Amino acid sequence: MKKAHLEFIVGLFLAIGIGCLAWLSVKLARKEFFANDGYEVQAAFSNGSGLCAGTPVLIAGVQVGRVRSVGLEDYEAKVRMVIRRGVVLQKDTIAAIKTKGLIGEKYIELTPGAADNCIKPGGTIRETQPCMDLEALIGKYIQGSLSKPDAKPESAH
Amino acid sequence: MNLHVTHISFMKTVPCILLTLAVAAGSLCAHAEQPTTQVRSSTDRILALLGDAALKADDRKSERRQLVRRELDRRIDWATIARSSLGHHWSKLTPSQRTEFTDLFSRLLEQTYVSNFETYYRDLDKIEYLGEKIVEEYASVKVRITTKDALIHPVEYRLQQSGQDWRVYDVLIEGVSLVKNYRDQFDEILAKSSYEKLATDIRAKLTEASP
Repeated sequence: MKKAHLEFIVGLFLAIGIGCLAWLSVKLARKEFFANDGYEVQAAFSNGSGLCAGTPVLIAGVQVGRVRSVGLEDYEAKVRMVIRRGVVLQKDTIAAIKTKGLIGEKYIELTPGAADNCIKPGGTIRETQPCMDLEALIGKYIQGSLSKPDAKPESAH
Repeated sequence: MNLHVTHISFMKTVPCILLTLAVAAGSLCAHAEQPTTQVRSSTDRILALLGDAALKADDRKSERRQLVRRELDRRIDWATIARSSLGHHWSKLTPSQRTEFTDLFSRLLEQTYVSNFETYYRDLDKIEYLGEKIVEEYASVKVRITTKDALIHPVEYRLQQSGQDWRVYDVLIEGVSLVKNYRDQFDEILAKSSYEKLATDIRAKLTEASP
């Protein structure tokens, strides 16, 4: 009787342990079992570096969704994201890839627009702003200043 | 002023912005033309105006500015840019405030960019058209502007079809959207104060720069 009780306790602990591991795995991998808590929209970025499944989607700093997948389509980063049900996105909403701090993780910031029509589930956020390539900008600045000619010609075109 | 600081940095980063807006200026014969064709012909018309020696005289500068503005009016959808730049705050405005804001904002853009057209024209070396993408009634045209300093500025025009014409509702320079730039600024101002304060700020800025 006592032995059966002990075995039950051990089994219970084991089950709880496995449950915790499963929960932790889901949380760390940012996977969703149920996609019914939101609707999907997509957006194409000319540069989507740093984005991956699970990247947060924010409006005014508040998380309203997550990136579901990132793929290449027509040489652009095609991003599918799930937006929380009840969050309405106008057709001229702008999706921009931002960085937390200077070298922090990437996130997508949505800026609500003013259009009368809204993006329907499965629709596309047309207005996107790609990830800012600081390295390229700095490189261009340095390169530009080095290659600056001494004299400027008068005419153009 | 935050608005002022962002203006300056935006302009420093993109010294050719006026010419990029010129790309969007009007075309007369746009029947069923592709966005790039319209953009190209508009650019040529603006550049021709800027290069016209007869219009360079001091007493004809205002005339030239008006001609350039007229071309821009044909191609740029100021109303959509103004509405979109105000974002979700637009719905809180009364119809008269909306009309007033559209007028103020288009004048602010004109003053900020169009008044310096000549400087940007002098710095221009060449404009290359890299391609276009059309999805339903929307299009984007990618352009590469090279200055005489050998600086390359990638520019992307976002256009919407309106009848036979394609009209610009946003410009991305170095990947930075003009509409988003202003939307962020207006959002910040309107979060702290009212529309009246924003309108007063824009009016003050317009007065400050007018001769």
